[in-house]
Amino acid sequence: MKIIKQAVAGTLESSDLLVKVEPNDSGLDIVIQSEVVKQFGKQIRAAVAETLAKLDVDRGTVVIEDKGALDYAIRARVQAAVLRGAGSVDVNWGQLS
Amino acid sequence: MDKEFQFSVVDPKDSAQEMDAVRALLAANQLELDLHNQVWVVCHVRGRLVACAGLDHNVIKCVAVSKEFRGESLSLRLGSEVIALAAQRGYFHLFLYSPPHNRELFQGWGFYPLVEVSELVVLMENSPIAIKRYYESLQIQKRPGDRIGCMVLNANPFTLGHRFLVETAASECDWLHVFVVKEDASAFSYADRFSLVADGVKDISRLALHEGSDYIISRATFPGYFLKEKETIDRSWAAIDLLLFREYIAPALGITHRYVGTEPLDPVTNNYNADMKYWLEKASSPANSICVVEVPRVSIKGMPISASRVRGFLAQGDLEAIRHLVPKTTLEFLERHYSGVGVAQA
Repeated sequence: MKIIKQAVAGTLESSDLLVKVEPNDSGLDIVIQSEVVKQFGKQIRAAVAETLAKLDVDRGTVVIEDKGALDYAIRARVQAAVLRGAGSVDVNWGQLS
Repeated sequence: MDKEFQFSVVDPKDSAQEMDAVRALLAANQLELDLHNQVWVVCHVRGRLVACAGLDHNVIKCVAVSKEFRGESLSLRLGSEVIALAAQRGYFHLFLYSPPHNRELFQGWGFYPLVEVSELVVLMENSPIAIKRYYESLQIQKRPGDRIGCMVLNANPFTLGHRFLVETAASECDWLHVFVVKEDASAFSYADRFSLVADGVKDISRLALHEGSDYIISRATFPGYFLKEKETIDRSWAAIDLLLFREYIAPALGITHRYVGTEPLDPVTNNYNADMKYWLEKASSPANSICVVEVPRVSIKGMPISASRVRGFLAQGDLEAIRHLVPKTTLEFLERHYSGVGVAQA
C-alpha cells in the first residue's frame, strides 16, 4: 500500500495515540514520541513496524504521538492512518489480522 | 464528569454571541480574539464556555481553558478536536501560536517549538522532524563563498524592480538564493509568480531559485503579510518569520546577507524592512547575525516601480502603462492572460 497523501488517525487522550502519515519517496521514516518511551519504546516501534509491513508500506513518514496506548490500539490507529493516507477502499482485512 | 464536556465547531460569522463568550474567556487568559480565525472549537459545560481554540487555515491560535477546568484531560481533548477539525479541512502540517509559558502544554498536543520571541510568543509545529527535514533539503543546496546573499520575493507579478534587485544582489555576492513566497494569497497564483521569476532571472549566473515553504513568509510565519492591503499588522509576527529565517534557513544555506528593496509605497513592507534590520542583525539569538542590505527602488519617470502599481494598471486594463515597468517575459505573460480584461486588485 502506498501513502499518497497526508492523513491522521487517533486522539491525544490518555491510553490512545495520534498517528500522522505522509508520503516520503526516500524511504520509511518512523518517529515515535511517547510518555512511556523509556519503558516501552521498543515494543511500540515493533508494533508500528509490523503493522506497516503487513500493509506493505515501505515508504512514508509516520509520526506517532503516544499517550500510553496498548498494542492493539497502536495497530488499529496505524492501520486507520495508512488506509486514509493511501486513499484506499479495497482493504484485505485478512491481511491485517 | 467527562460526559459533561460538550464540544462543538463554531463559525464566527454566524455566532456573534458565542464569540462574545470566547472573547471573555480569552481576555481572562490575557489573550486577544484573533478575527482571522475561520473556525473555532469550543467546549461547554452545562451551557457555559470553558475552553476554545481558533483555526486559521493551518494555524491554531487563541487556545484557552477556563482555570477551574485545567488538567490534562480537557486540554488534550480540545487538542484532539482541533487537530481532527484541521484534518477535515485538509490541513495536516499545523502550526500553533502560544505564549511561551504554555509551551509544555502544547508539547502534550504533539507540537514542537520552532522559534520564540522572548516572553511574548512561541511558534510551534506538529512534527518533531519537519523543520529538520526542511533544513536538510536546503543544506544540500549550500554553495561555497564568503558572501552568500538571499532574497525573498512575492513577485506579484515580477517587475523590473525585482529584476534590478536580483541583478544588484547577484553582482555583490558569491552566490544568491532567491525564494518565491509560496502562499496562494496574492492576485497571481504561486505557479505563475514562480515561473515569471524563473523566466526573469534565467540569464543571471551564480543564482539558485527556491520554492517557498511554510517556513518563509507564509500564513504560518507571518499572517499579517497577506493582509497588507487591508489593515495593519501585528509586528511581533514579523519577528517570528525573521527569527525562523535567521535560525534555520540562513544557517542551512550559509547565508550572510539578506537583500530587500526599499519600499516607499507600501507601509507594511516598509515596516517589515525595519523589523528585518532589528531581528536579523541586532536581536539576541543563538544564530549568527545576517547583514541586511536595502537596495533603493528603481524609478521610472520619478515613480518607483512596484508590483502594486502594475496591478493597479492591470485593474484598469492599461497594459501600455505596464510596458515600462516589467521585463519582456512578464509583459508577454500579461498580454496572453489579461489582454482586454482587468484583474482584481488583491
